[in-house]
Amino acid sequence: MMRNDPIKHVFIWPAVLVVLAISIFPLIYSFTTSFLSYRLIPPIPPRVVWLGNYVSLLQEPRFWNAIFTTTMIAFIAVGLQYVIGFGVALALNARIPGERLFRVALLLPMLLAPVAVALVARMIFNPTMGPLNQLLSMFGLANLPFLTNGHWALACIIAVEIWQWTPFIILMMLAGLQTLPEDVYEAAELENASAWQQFWGITFPMMLPISAAVVFIRLIESYKIMDTVFVMTGGGPGVDTETLTLFAYQEGFKKFNLGYTSALSFLFLIAITIIGVTYLALLRPHLEKRR
Amino acid sequence: MSGQGLTGLSSWSRRLVTAGVLVWCLITAFPLYWVVVTAFKTPPGVVGGPTYIPFVDFTPTLQPFIDLYQGIRGEFFRTFLNSTIVGMSAAAIATAVGAMAAYALVRFEFRVRFGAGLIFFLLALGGYLLFNNSFGFTRPQALLLAFPIALAAAILANRLPLPGPILGNEDILFWFVSQRMFPPIVTAFALYLLYSEIGRLGFQLIDSYVGLTLCYVAFSLPIVVWLMRDFFEAIPIEVEEAAMVDNVPSWRIFLGIVVPMSMNGLLATFMITLAFVWNEFLFALFLTNSRWQTLPILVAGQNSQRGDEWWAISAAALVAIIPMMIMAGLLSRMMRSGLLLGAIK
Repeated sequence: MMRNDPIKHVFIWPAVLVVLAISIFPLIYSFTTSFLSYRLIPPIPPRVVWLGNYVSLLQEPRFWNAIFTTTMIAFIAVGLQYVIGFGVALALNARIPGERLFRVALLLPMLLAPVAVALVARMIFNPTMGPLNQLLSMFGLANLPFLTNGHWALACIIAVEIWQWTPFIILMMLAGLQTLPEDVYEAAELENASAWQQFWGITFPMMLPISAAVVFIRLIESYKIMDTVFVMTGGGPGVDTETLTLFAYQEGFKKFNLGYTSALSFLFLIAITIIGVTYLALLRPHLEKRR
Repeated sequence: MSGQGLTGLSSWSRRLVTAGVLVWCLITAFPLYWVVVTAFKTPPGVVGGPTYIPFVDFTPTLQPFIDLYQGIRGEFFRTFLNSTIVGMSAAAIATAVGAMAAYALVRFEFRVRFGAGLIFFLLALGGYLLFNNSFGFTRPQALLLAFPIALAAAILANRLPLPGPILGNEDILFWFVSQRMFPPIVTAFALYLLYSEIGRLGFQLIDSYVGLTLCYVAFSLPIVVWLMRDFFEAIPIEVEEAAMVDNVPSWRIFLGIVVPMSMNGLLATFMITLAFVWNEFLFALFLTNSRWQTLPILVAGQNSQRGDEWWAISAAALVAIIPMMIMAGLLSRMMRSGLLLGAIK
């Protein structure tokens, strides 16, 4: 039942006002700035260039490199997080021994500051003093240049992302698994369906809506990645691991190229919207079939 | 709770699955173990190559922590206090304000005309451009003038029979949540410029308690509204209806009945928000520079300041991590009561 009482405005307006003020203000501000040529250092008065910033950005290889890097990190990391996370959630749901202890341990990484995690990762990936290369040399393998080679550095960042955010998927999938009705499985048991068949025939399709939501959240969040990269590689070597947010930070905060940075953040926003809409459009037929 | 999924498996594959989870747990635990041990190492214990077990591989020492406390590597004590103050107050305000909004969205009916929203946006944008370009106001002045005018016009327009769709509670909720989709860099950078221009008018927001807290409140609200809505929806409405028959005013129903009944949810939401603010990096990077610097900024700075002094870096990281470790323990108890279940539907 919905009530109608003037007091409802007292309840909702504080939140609406704060969010409006902090999100719409900057939005309008940077939207208008993105059409200007505007620098703080050296100070030149703003000049209207219309789409000039956007055009020069789209011709800038560094921008495309940042998009490519961010997409690689987001898709590979989230894909692996989903596979590992779903697997672990299934196992925990089956009440393996020691399940309670696992839960606390598994929750931890996602509550830790990404900055601190990245620092720890730097130590572990250190080529001479880190434990990982020592482990490799124990097996007679050569020391790897983890953070100084572009491809390896990207792989390391992805590994850290997986380490930190798989717990989120485990948590959500576990919550979802516990809502599945038991009688379907009992029926499948009577039909002598194997565990493999039960998974693909029942569990996976029934978990599809939750999976879609969880992957969507992680994908959007991964595109914003900044702190991990900032600490681990600083975008280097060169610009090999520079993500979109880091690129915008460099342009905006180091060079104070305001118009350019605003245009960049709007392209970023458009890119995220396109990815989000495409993702939902691709999934919609699968999700609606089940209703 | 159900235990399906693996019931059809032989004991062999059960063992395999357990081993797999165990491996993942080890992968999760090792970096944590590593940072804890490294924080107690002396310089020779680090530089000589990786060492693992205290007392066997190296002699533990408390020196890194003493250095931290004495402020040799930056003002740790004050930064810790900053993080605590900003985190606690932002989480408390966001939880309170967000819970109120969430309750309103669950129990009251809202109707917003799409046209009114459009009018708001166009007037805010147009008013800003007009005030800035034609009347010679500075940019923040123009924004501050355009905002109330646009808001007032939109509220009035909402009463008119405008054409176009009418948005209900679900759409308002979607608007709240969609704020989370925005890349924060869009806002962080613009907010930095806006804050510094407001600062030039004489009201300092950069590197101030108010500026940072306000920004964190705004950015936590979407999550809070989203989580709290599910808690409130789970509360049986009969209790509230009984109170309404007795003519208890709505605000007393909320404070006296609803809030106590959803204390667990409020607490969990508070903690999740606190964790989010505590770990946040990008906004703190833009909006603080010395007085109100938070822990993540200081910790990130350790890296470049003195190179590979791992004992100190680990101790610093540990200071940022430990409060959240305690929270993880507390939260995991609440998780069992199906806390996040509703949030993902």
